[in-house]
Amino acid sequence: MAVTRRYVCLLVLISTRCLPLRAEDVEFRAKVAPFLAKNCYSCHNPKLKTANLSFDSGVTPKDLVVWEKVLDRLSTGKMPPPGLPVPPKTEIAAVTHWIEGLLGPPGADPGRVTARRLNRAEYNNTVRDLLGVSLQPADEFPLDDSGYGFDNIGDVLSLSPMLMEKYINAARKLSSVAVFGEQYSPKATKLARFLVKKNQDDTASGPSVLPFSMRGALYGSFNFPVDAEYEFRMRLTNYRARGRGKPSTEEDNRKAYPPVEMIFKLDGEPIKTDVVEGNIDYRYTRAESTVRYRVRAGRHDLRASFPEFADLPDPRNNMNPDGRRQVYVEYLDIVGPYNPTADPPASYGRIFVCGHKRGGHNPECSRRVVENLARRAYRRPATPQEVDRLTGLVAMVQKDGESFEEGVRIAVQSVLVSPQFLFRVEHDGAGAYPVSNFELASRLSYFLWSSMPDDELMRAALREPGVLEGQIRRLLASPKSDALVENFASQWLNLRLLDRKRPDGAQFPTVDDELVDAMRRETTLFTEAVVREDRSILDFLDGRFTFVNGILARHYGIPAIKGEAFQRVDLDGDQRSGVMTQGSILTLSSYANRTSPVIRGKWVLENLLGTSLPPPPPDVAALQEANLGTEASLRQRLEQHRANATCAVCHNQMDPIGFGLENYDAAGAWRTHDGKFPIDSSGVLPDGTAVNGPKNLKEILRGRSDGFSRNFAEKLLTYALGRGLEPYDRAAVNQIVENAAAKDHRFSAYVMEIVNSKPFQMRRGEGGSNGSR
Amino acid sequence: MVPGKHLARRTLLRGLGTALSLPLLDAMVPAFASAAKVKAASPCRMAFLYVPNGIVMNQWTPTKEPGVSALPRELPRISQALAPFRENVMMLTGLTHNTGRALGDGPGDHGRAGASYLTGVHPKKTYGKDIHVGISVDQVAAHALEGKTRFASLELGCEEGVQGGSCDNGYSCAYSNSISWRSESSPMPPEIRPRAVFERLFGSGDIERDPARRARLEKYEKSILDGVVSDAQQLQASLGGADKRKLDEYLFSIRDIEKRIANAERTNVQRKAPSMGAPPASIPADFSEHARIIFDLMTLAFQSDMTRIISGLLAIEQSPRSYAEIGIPEAHHGLTHHQGDTQKIEKVAQINCHHVKQFAYFLEKLKATPDGDGTLLDHCMITYGSGLSEGNTHDHSNLPMVLAGGGCGKLRPGRHVRYADETPMTNLYVALLDRMGVPVESMGDSNGKLGYLSDI
Repeated sequence: MAVTRRYVCLLVLISTRCLPLRAEDVEFRAKVAPFLAKNCYSCHNPKLKTANLSFDSGVTPKDLVVWEKVLDRLSTGKMPPPGLPVPPKTEIAAVTHWIEGLLGPPGADPGRVTARRLNRAEYNNTVRDLLGVSLQPADEFPLDDSGYGFDNIGDVLSLSPMLMEKYINAARKLSSVAVFGEQYSPKATKLARFLVKKNQDDTASGPSVLPFSMRGALYGSFNFPVDAEYEFRMRLTNYRARGRGKPSTEEDNRKAYPPVEMIFKLDGEPIKTDVVEGNIDYRYTRAESTVRYRVRAGRHDLRASFPEFADLPDPRNNMNPDGRRQVYVEYLDIVGPYNPTADPPASYGRIFVCGHKRGGHNPECSRRVVENLARRAYRRPATPQEVDRLTGLVAMVQKDGESFEEGVRIAVQSVLVSPQFLFRVEHDGAGAYPVSNFELASRLSYFLWSSMPDDELMRAALREPGVLEGQIRRLLASPKSDALVENFASQWLNLRLLDRKRPDGAQFPTVDDELVDAMRRETTLFTEAVVREDRSILDFLDGRFTFVNGILARHYGIPAIKGEAFQRVDLDGDQRSGVMTQGSILTLSSYANRTSPVIRGKWVLENLLGTSLPPPPPDVAALQEANLGTEASLRQRLEQHRANATCAVCHNQMDPIGFGLENYDAAGAWRTHDGKFPIDSSGVLPDGTAVNGPKNLKEILRGRSDGFSRNFAEKLLTYALGRGLEPYDRAAVNQIVENAAAKDHRFSAYVMEIVNSKPFQMRRGEGGSNGSR
Repeated sequence: MVPGKHLARRTLLRGLGTALSLPLLDAMVPAFASAAKVKAASPCRMAFLYVPNGIVMNQWTPTKEPGVSALPRELPRISQALAPFRENVMMLTGLTHNTGRALGDGPGDHGRAGASYLTGVHPKKTYGKDIHVGISVDQVAAHALEGKTRFASLELGCEEGVQGGSCDNGYSCAYSNSISWRSESSPMPPEIRPRAVFERLFGSGDIERDPARRARLEKYEKSILDGVVSDAQQLQASLGGADKRKLDEYLFSIRDIEKRIANAERTNVQRKAPSMGAPPASIPADFSEHARIIFDLMTLAFQSDMTRIISGLLAIEQSPRSYAEIGIPEAHHGLTHHQGDTQKIEKVAQINCHHVKQFAYFLEKLKATPDGDGTLLDHCMITYGSGLSEGNTHDHSNLPMVLAGGGCGKLRPGRHVRYADETPMTNLYVALLDRMGVPVESMGDSNGKLGYLSDI
């Protein structure tokens, strides 16, 4: 760089000694420095260093991260802070214009995505699509590292020897299942016993321990090894209430405790109905319920429950005073397989593409088989050397007298541990250049499907006019795009935190695993609706609809919704609308036993508005929230806290938002009182706007949806790229937001704009520019 | 309580000798050294155990005696479970992890406590791509002793890590999810599923029985590894920067596995079935049950000389785990911020006791396992401690530390040593590495080698 030796001393006021000669610096000296001196320096100086920022000689025009923040604060009016004089618009514009020039036009630097190791979800989906198997080996892999809020960041995902070992084992197992089918004992055996937790506080975990339902339901899923019949054996158990007089005749008992219907469903389809009755000794008798049913190989949802209990006015009606359930499904055994199919597994056809019968392959087939395999696994055409090496493996195996199938199995195993499969590596070039067609196809399919591209996408000429858009629409319409909800939305909204959150049992006696799972399901269905119906993303703020079943509807106080199945309902927005007022979010941003306006406010700021809050400064005592008894004193305590100017900077932002949501208790139910105190859901935002209750809060946020849509675009772009955003991405984000806004903020508009953006389409070669031009 | 669970554990402890079929890798590996061989060598082993959120120190530290004193018969309440092992343990008081402190980086003491614990390095405050701390003491030893055993080291734990960017005020979850670090930026996350640990050690059982065919499969797998290594090298040569580093990780991991196979072939010994059956596939609900199975597996791994170095993360920093099994439904971390509330302190103390009891179980197990001319415990150096002393105030000084085992005659247990305040914990690590035959000049922030471990 030409001017490297002339180090810049930024603040003219302080030092005008060594200014460089470039145009941006001339402008800087003329307009920016005086502005900073007049409006910023009184707090951001070396002595005060407010927010750890000081405009002294340590800050140079090269500190793009700093300038991007300055740009953000100035353009959103967050700085100068309320109470200080607001500079004239023209002066602000001059500064923001200068910074924008510094950051460059969209894609001036498209950035560089580090080779991305497949994460757990991507691995499972990719082997599903590559081989057609339903195994999910990645469930046993160590947790993926995550950065910038997502677990698909190339720089952050690491590969330990332990994980490599698991890759090797998984490859061995997958290749065998894909070629020869799942191994199972020829005689039917007990494949699984699912037990439900005995009570809400039971900390049992593991794949065979199922959630607790006060209504006695058992639900989960199972991966069936082969198309076959399976026997499902359920134990329906009950406990007699203690300390009550027992009825004198069976007829009396029948009247007092009418028979209850148990329905067993596979993927939502009822396949067995039984009735539990009582006798004179027991309110309800114990019973076994058994059914045999033909099931296709793969994972299926199972549910055995008493559907009418979904409409119990209070689920405790199924509980005895001693805390045990009156009727429940205690366990489910799966026994099988009976009469398994003799057909080769679905995966067989995907690998053996020559169309010959099992065992009857001709030698030329080998090359076609491995070429097809490697192309799909490496997501690009295989090189002749790669194909040679794989056919060499097949030949070696055959030479030992093993079958052709075994040879191909070894080739499959080899492909599955190759770095070309485990990593998404993009070729390196010089300067900024468009990624290859195949690389673009992979970027697209891992963005929308968390999986490999299918054949159509691989073949598509993505850079021809209209083709890309057609493919995006096709990918979004596929059920595979559920991955966007599963992996993007659940991380964006922190929904995965709900796994570790349980409202306090003593305070919320009707909140069980089943209700919490229903909350999670609500948010999932809501997000799916935004994606599938291509709705405006502003619906996340206050979309006037949601999905509830009888259990959740009762929790929310929504009348007339019955049964276990989820239904779409319209909302008036008074009590509920948008994710902020969904039980899942309200619960995960609360303590187990009470609400925290601070955590809720922080959640809204960070997840919806993209305002990052610095951690509390080291010398300030944390807010003593833990000992707070009542709502009134919580408010008082927070007010004291805000009296401290250092605390106030953040708490003035967080607390009023959180107070606006005080009408929801720590498990997300609506309330007007907290104990004996009436709820006060009012507050004042830093700019003086009064917040009064959740409906009003949502109106205010909707009125300032710029922050929300920008944050959404940033989060989705981070996820799409698999890297953290850099200052030079700012212009691209601006363009994405601007264009998507013009298309009514439709979800697909954000996806289209991201896919068409320079950071997504291009890549910077090593040795290219680093944001400086 | 699920009745089947207890049964499963008992079966597991009792079970032995069922004809396990061997996994592929296993067949190439030493598995069990014969008893005679163990007698000849009796190598020294080390394990580093971690409990989070500090310990109630005034119920842990033996009475204030200056300098070195014999460990009293009556220990304070929390360390009382160690009393039966008085002759086998040393309590070390006064050690500090200065690198766990803020040092200008503000809050985040839990993240720093976990990250600095075995590294003695102040972690970089970040939850993005640039995580950076130091190489942990167990990995220093593992690296030096590589090739002597099938696994250079094992990383085990009892609590699943947290996924999400920032776990503690801007510190990446990686800092608390692992205490072992292979390099400054590569954590070694612990395995928490007993079954997975067992299968890693002894194989999953669904493997070829015909020796000729098994030999062929081994050959194929070697060809596969050779092939992918050359692929990776070729690929790496065409890449730059961070991409190259990712391929480095890949190659390192593959080579690690290749070395293991080579070691196995070199030291091919007749294989014996392990002295316990495969644990259940699910993770036990109760902490104690889970911890004890993990300790069983550690014992087994040491006994069979599968590895000589283990780190055990009994729970992660800021662990929200509740201990219903001892009547504590509240989250551990929340309780430790008790602000002086005596009821909460009592519950924390109960959790501390509960942890130490499981540790005592481990010691008992090691002591009951013959090894060479003594017991396994004689040939171990095991640390048990936390990166915080008082959880409430996030104190990184005067940390709780028990050093158990005879260290192959290089330790003199049965004593309580009170070191000068602010003595770096890493001085202990330097001293332990020395005894392990891995002398190092320094480790993290060490400023010497901890004395009074074998001398008076």
